[in-house]
Amino acid sequence: MKKLLLVSIVATMAAVFMSNAALAGRLLLINGAGATFPYPLYSKWFYEYTKVDEGVNFNYQSIGSGGGIRQILAQTVDFGATDGPMTDEQLKQAPGEIFHIPMTAGAVVVTYNLPQVSERLRFSPDVVADIFLGKIKKWNDPRIAKDNSGVNLPGENIIVAHRSDGSGTTNIFTDYLSSVSVDWKSRVGKGTSVNWPAGLGGKGNEGVAGLVKQSQGAIGYVELAYAVKNGLPAADIRNKTGNFITPSIETTTAAVNGKADSMPSDFRVSLVNPDGADAYPIAGLTWILVYKDQPDKVKGRKIVEFLRWAITDGQKYSTDLLYAPLPESVVKKVEEKIDKINY
Amino acid sequence: MCTAAFLCAFLTLVPLISIFGYVFAKGVVSLNLDFFINLPRPVGEVGGGMSNAIAGTLILIGLSCLWAIPLGIIGGIFLSEFGDNKLGTTVRFTADVLNGIPSIVIGIFAYTVFVLPMKSFSAISGAFALGVIMIPTIMRTTEEMLRMVPRTLREAALALGISQFRMTVSIVLKTALPGILTGILLAIARIAGETAPLLFTAFGNRFWHQNFTQPIAALPLQIFVYAISPFDDWRRQAWAGAFVLIVIIFLISFISRFVIGLRYKFPTSK
Repeated sequence: MKKLLLVSIVATMAAVFMSNAALAGRLLLINGAGATFPYPLYSKWFYEYTKVDEGVNFNYQSIGSGGGIRQILAQTVDFGATDGPMTDEQLKQAPGEIFHIPMTAGAVVVTYNLPQVSERLRFSPDVVADIFLGKIKKWNDPRIAKDNSGVNLPGENIIVAHRSDGSGTTNIFTDYLSSVSVDWKSRVGKGTSVNWPAGLGGKGNEGVAGLVKQSQGAIGYVELAYAVKNGLPAADIRNKTGNFITPSIETTTAAVNGKADSMPSDFRVSLVNPDGADAYPIAGLTWILVYKDQPDKVKGRKIVEFLRWAITDGQKYSTDLLYAPLPESVVKKVEEKIDKINY
Repeated sequence: MCTAAFLCAFLTLVPLISIFGYVFAKGVVSLNLDFFINLPRPVGEVGGGMSNAIAGTLILIGLSCLWAIPLGIIGGIFLSEFGDNKLGTTVRFTADVLNGIPSIVIGIFAYTVFVLPMKSFSAISGAFALGVIMIPTIMRTTEEMLRMVPRTLREAALALGISQFRMTVSIVLKTALPGILTGILLAIARIAGETAPLLFTAFGNRFWHQNFTQPIAALPLQIFVYAISPFDDWRRQAWAGAFVLIVIIFLISFISRFVIGLRYKFPTSK
């Protein structure tokens, strides 16, 4: 009995090691790390891409945008990914030139918990900023009521919920608030984690969503995909042209379109407050970071092939997962950029 | 008094039982054959599994044991048999401090020592980090267990004329083996669920790893990523993963005890 057990254990281990040896060298493994926000889409892409090119596996781990930037700088991964563009200072630290390749766009929605209100609420930019600054304290504040005529707003206190961890979602949201409120810009500013003037912190999208769900009268911000998949209400936000826009894939793509003409050649651009009548104003791009001069020729070629596929054929997988596909005009510019990668 | 004691004992069991119960209830319904034989699949694709993560966790445990168990046991022998001096005290103190260091710090250490120079995340760097966590536990329990072996037994052995080396290996170590094994199991149980030290070492892999210098999947990492995702299917799989992880730890413990139990009788409390 004992021998049998021992033999079976040894045999299993041997089998595992042998299968390792048998697989070795047959497949090229390309590693990437970074942003959590596009992880569902990237995992879909890398899964589908195994059918396009059977000789290569792309392994992507969502360790956060900051982590992605650090790892590409340390060259421990073949590509990085981030929701917030690298700063000039970070680019200077890099051992080579780094390209930002935009892959898809996402939206951040303002969600709330007011069971007595069945209509979708509408907010003007300055109202959102002042709620998160703690200046507007009651739901029936005249400034909220002004945008929501006909809605019977309760006199409850507003409980602000925000992210406690560093996050690309916070970066987009605070970038937006800074662009619409001078007060926010000078008092809080933008970044992946900021010093919140009001409210409670929750970890991750689910933390903020949990806080909002638990407390009546709460308001918070989460990714569009998270709000839709979890049935959270999402407020309409007034954009630059004065229209109230419901967050959706179409209105997010419209936001990318609104910046298409002014897109800089390095693609390090903020999407908040874009032009366009139907553009949702709280949106952001997410990028894959690659070295212009690829250190490994074989891997470099495979990465370029994949990037080309992702921004063309791959875009069709975006909508199902609630990411906004890049508009044609932007795809063209991105393709030109990809052509400049040397391998 | 007796009632109070019972009550307290029961209260300490409550969190343990509720965790087991909850993970069991949430995990079992999410288990199916696909979970054990398939690779992770993206959202929207049915039939995704964690086969690579289950194998990865077992391989990581195996690799860590490979270097941490011998080092821990030999270190423990040193502390118990030759450690009544300044060097022994220093080693003991260092091991105790090491035991208290947060595992993520050990992960960063392994990242600096292994990942940065190799310019690649790898299974071996993960096994290194996990091994570092195991060593102090194994070393200190081995020492304590060896110290419990009666002096008379050692003297009897030496009196029969065998060398100190033989005495240590064949008499002292053999007598203390069940206790040492318990220490090893504790160490394994501790590392099996570690996520933090693997984030920047083993890194995780959505495919099968091909050799130990590449990133490797691990159950805790996969659970971590899936649990915070917005998708129900992934969160469901995270529960299944948590349940499987508990079962793996239980099985390792059970099988090792069974194998050893066939050969040695466990000491009953004296």
